[in-house]
Amino acid sequence: MNVRVQPTSTHNIEVRLRPEHSDAEGAAALALLVAQGMPSLREARVSRVYEVKGPISAGQVLQATKDLLCDAVTQEYRVLAPVNPPANGMNFWRVEVWLKPTVTDPVGETVRDAIADMGLPRPDSVRCAMVYRLCGRSNKPQLEKAVSKCLANPLIHRAVVTEAQP
Amino acid sequence: MKKPKILVLRAAGTNCELETANAFRVVGGDPDLVHIAEIKAGKKRLMDYAVLAIPGGFSYGDDVGAGKVLANQVRHTLTDLRQFVRLGRPVIGICNGFQVLVKAGVLPHSNACDQVASFTFNDSGRFEARWVHLRLNTQSSCLFFKGLPEMIELPVAHGEGKLVLKSPRHLEDLKKTKSIALQYVTEDGKLMGYPHNPNGSIFNIAGLTNPEGNVLGLMPHPERFVASHQHPNWTRQTYRKQAIGLEMFKNAVDHAR
Amino acid sequence: MNASAVKDPAAAAAEAPGILDKSVKELRALGDARHLSLNDAEWAVIQGHFKGLKREPTLAELETLAQTWSEHCKHKTFTSPIRLTEGKKTRVIKNLFQETIVAATQAVKKPWCLSVFDDNAGVVAFGKKWALAFKAETHNHPSALEPYGGSETGVGGVVRDVLGCGLGAKPVLNTDVFCFGRPDYKGPLPEGAHHPNRTMRGVVAGVRDYGNRMGIPTAGGGLWFDDDYRLNPLVFCGTVGLIPQWAVDKEVKPGDFIVAVGGKTGRDGLHGATFSSANLGEDAPTSAVQIGHAIAEKRVLDALLRARERKLYRSVTDCGAGGFSSAVGELGAAGARVSLENAPLKVSDLDSWEIWLSESQERMVLAVPPKNLKALQAVFAAEGCETAVLGEFTKTGRLVVEHRGRPVVDLDMQFLHKGLPRVEREAVWNAPAPAKPSGGAEKKASLVLREAVADLNVCSREWVIRQYDHEVQGGTVIKPLQGVRHDGPGDACVIWPQAATGDMDDHMGFSVAHGLNPDYGRLDPYWMAMAVVDEALRNLTCVGADPSRAALLDNFCWASPADPKQLGALVRAAEGCRDAAKGFGAPFISGKDSLYNQSKDEKGRELPIPGTLLISAISTVPDARKAVTMDFKGPGNALYLIGRTNDELGGSLYHKILGRSGGEVPKVSPACALEGFKSLHAAINRGLVLSAHDLSEGGLAVTAVEMGFSGEFGCLIDLDEMARDPRIYSNETLLFSESPSRILVEVSPESESAFLRHFGKGAKAAAVRRVGQTTANPILKVVGLDGSVVMEEPLRELKEAWQKTLPAVLG
Repeated sequence: MNVRVQPTSTHNIEVRLRPEHSDAEGAAALALLVAQGMPSLREARVSRVYEVKGPISAGQVLQATKDLLCDAVTQEYRVLAPVNPPANGMNFWRVEVWLKPTVTDPVGETVRDAIADMGLPRPDSVRCAMVYRLCGRSNKPQLEKAVSKCLANPLIHRAVVTEAQP
Repeated sequence: MKKPKILVLRAAGTNCELETANAFRVVGGDPDLVHIAEIKAGKKRLMDYAVLAIPGGFSYGDDVGAGKVLANQVRHTLTDLRQFVRLGRPVIGICNGFQVLVKAGVLPHSNACDQVASFTFNDSGRFEARWVHLRLNTQSSCLFFKGLPEMIELPVAHGEGKLVLKSPRHLEDLKKTKSIALQYVTEDGKLMGYPHNPNGSIFNIAGLTNPEGNVLGLMPHPERFVASHQHPNWTRQTYRKQAIGLEMFKNAVDHAR
Repeated sequence: MNASAVKDPAAAAAEAPGILDKSVKELRALGDARHLSLNDAEWAVIQGHFKGLKREPTLAELETLAQTWSEHCKHKTFTSPIRLTEGKKTRVIKNLFQETIVAATQAVKKPWCLSVFDDNAGVVAFGKKWALAFKAETHNHPSALEPYGGSETGVGGVVRDVLGCGLGAKPVLNTDVFCFGRPDYKGPLPEGAHHPNRTMRGVVAGVRDYGNRMGIPTAGGGLWFDDDYRLNPLVFCGTVGLIPQWAVDKEVKPGDFIVAVGGKTGRDGLHGATFSSANLGEDAPTSAVQIGHAIAEKRVLDALLRARERKLYRSVTDCGAGGFSSAVGELGAAGARVSLENAPLKVSDLDSWEIWLSESQERMVLAVPPKNLKALQAVFAAEGCETAVLGEFTKTGRLVVEHRGRPVVDLDMQFLHKGLPRVEREAVWNAPAPAKPSGGAEKKASLVLREAVADLNVCSREWVIRQYDHEVQGGTVIKPLQGVRHDGPGDACVIWPQAATGDMDDHMGFSVAHGLNPDYGRLDPYWMAMAVVDEALRNLTCVGADPSRAALLDNFCWASPADPKQLGALVRAAEGCRDAAKGFGAPFISGKDSLYNQSKDEKGRELPIPGTLLISAISTVPDARKAVTMDFKGPGNALYLIGRTNDELGGSLYHKILGRSGGEVPKVSPACALEGFKSLHAAINRGLVLSAHDLSEGGLAVTAVEMGFSGEFGCLIDLDEMARDPRIYSNETLLFSESPSRILVEVSPESESAFLRHFGKGAKAAAVRRVGQTTANPILKVVGLDGSVVMEEPLRELKEAWQKTLPAVLG
């Protein structure tokens, strides 16, 4: 059996553009979704979720987030709870697009190396998801279909659509 | 004549290092391509060089944000960079190198450690390569600009070139300290939006210098205009312009002599 | 074989599927289940071989054979006998590739060809010290399934081909040509197929992100839209590398270490080679699709070229289709011994055959003399790039692979590389009866022109080009977008590779151009081949490249060659290539084919792509400072049209706009064409030409408009001055005919006589005529055969129409 100094744990960090900055990536995503027949969507903002797995503590991940993952001027971060809080209504949506486990994640590899380069424990794996936070009336099946037509390819991606908080 | 030693910094994903080194060589510099790992391992020392250049590219794929990973390494590895700057030695960061200098907190104020500026995606949402008109700040003491005309042209090529500031008061600071080195303008020198300002940068800022004028960071690529036939209109008979990019490298080398 | 010591017997049994006692039907089923893509004859040979050995093959051996013998790797269609029936005559072509492409190269015998067909790319001399390695290939099937990842790995693959050419060339130019369904396609699509709009966005983004990150300028290429590509897009990626002439040759010596460098091996990309020859169906293996990691490849590039300068290895090749199996098999034809446990893995649970066959990206294999190993490892480690010694090259003539002491593959190299049975295929070609143009409704020439400039196959490509860093390395002296406002459609780029040579005093450059037109192929693939060679060469000539130093790449993309008609058309196109190469004295130096580009549409019918041939041409520009762009430079200059105009509207844009069918397909006369190109080149080299632009889709009218709005000057053209077939009485024919070999040239009044002297005795053959002049007012004015004004069109409006097509559908 392996004996590790630190237990292996999983941390999910979301990094996003501060609300005062216009989000060009989000605007592009919104245009694609609207073209898929979702005219009721009004806004899209893009963020990234980093899933860090390995013998690394929450404090160390926080340090890596502040120093590396999150831009001090343009971005903000939050640690994601293991279970998302219950959502309200049908006006706010969250779409997470993950690469399937069999597909190489270049961003994840860069982050893993960079964390180790900072002198922190080297994570076993880092995966990065694109997150689209949408605002506008829709329903889950409709949104899932639109997402699969323009933001995620079911062949290599796993897209998770959930209702979200405003 | 003495050939000043130029450190051209490399890392995984740097990709404009050869043409940057060529530009320095042509104007009498002695460029050395140095991987940041060599500095970390103590094989090369920044202080042994007269000029530092951080060239363009996609360091570490720009994976968590343009230049971010390399900026962190610069912070932690090039610990003598601030001293290098204080000694007045020229530092130039081009495109990705500019992003690195800003995210490492070296620009706009090399004495403060806090990052007060950053970059985000172009307003167009796309990577764009095009030639732009630029106005130099003739008031700034930037040593790279000695003898240059106020209006110049250079190419840009980037996806995350929109400069943003931590707060509006920083813009006033930049104006006061004459740190705005370059602005995107129209052919007749006006501040206008896209495509003249290719990324939506605040106040059309294309480049920053420190108040002392020995550090320059800019999104456009001077190393791509070191011969007149690199200009997009050199085949037109009316076109006879000097290769402005080369002058910037020459100023740095002359200064280092 | 030894019983497995490591794996449990059940796993070992699964690895040896048992083929000796299987029937033809059972073997087919096994092949289908495992995506082996072996035909009956190949199965029979394999079965016979192992019966002789009195043992079952391992799964790894079957997989190795299947991928080595795949269409992708062995080009079976091009190298197997073909029985061609033409009308009532039948003839047998023993080896189409040898008898057309190779034969032409041998016939033109150019001493500046340094390496043709053998290596991962073709190599031509560039000055005395340097050489250019050029390769283009397709990544069609992966791009259809995952446009972004597919095109990314397409770029990554061709870049590695150039890195793996000779002892490694430094990539200095990327080119990309795409064929898509129309991005505004409104018809039905089968379940699971991506809309052409999405395909296009994804492909462009993939090429952009990979090329830009690698720091290679993407400055050449083309786009073609046709709804028959909607299920099978074509993605051609090309790379030019600069290599010192001393590094063109490579060798492997027994005892050299087999060293893998770059990325780790994972389960991604299994069955890419066999998959690329299979019909694109719903059951495509998802593992065949990957996304790229450009920075990993950039590390390999940086390390490899540093190791090359220190001569630390003797040979190199890339891991492409087939992964280690093809890379090791290719380098170690004399024998190799491999231990798979040394390969760095992404995941620990890979089977032996998976490690051996995986097509994980960004990996290369080197042959390293043992004494250099330490130094080589240090060079790669300094760039953060992993190395692993997989084994050594031998002289046993056997390919031996082990995994933790257990044999995985033990094959005779002779059988592996030469054992493939050649199956004769049937082909049919029936010359199309000459058809008079018919159908469609007449339209005013000015209206046709408006539609022509806005047509998807003519309109501005700026939306795409701006996303590529086409000036990294600082050598793009003639840019893809040209003219006063840097937005006119250039014929080709000119690269001055100063970053790579380090010599800013050497002004020699090179240019790359393309030719592609499947619409001509629908009428006659032979003349399509001739026309696209001509198009590539005239594009090169327009910017100042030397047409007599041009080398060619062929890329055939075709539907299933099992259909005799498709195969007949393919033969016809290959013969066109042969005659064009001979006629123009331009050798083929490398090439590739991609077959089976057809898929079931929404109703379950097979939708084949139109037979498509991409010709990519490369040539030197003796002095890049004398290169020429296509924009008018001033008013009052003479306009000369080089080349004769015939009534050749078959397959033309004019017919497409009118909805007309039939007509003569454009026919090339290489001798006359070459005479004109050479004369023009000489004139350009003397600085006598202000602008030059080739005539292609939309003919003279579109060319004149493009030159005008790019330079912001107008022109006056008198159709009666054109060198032409005297039987033409129609102004529209003269304006829109797509006769090949024609170039419109702007010459200042003081240079006219000197310019004409260059055409000297050839003037008659090349048919160079003064057809008009440039004007200050940006208007295209055309005087017809009867002296009346045919059209007087403001260029600004035409430019707007030309510019807005792609943004309107792509945003």
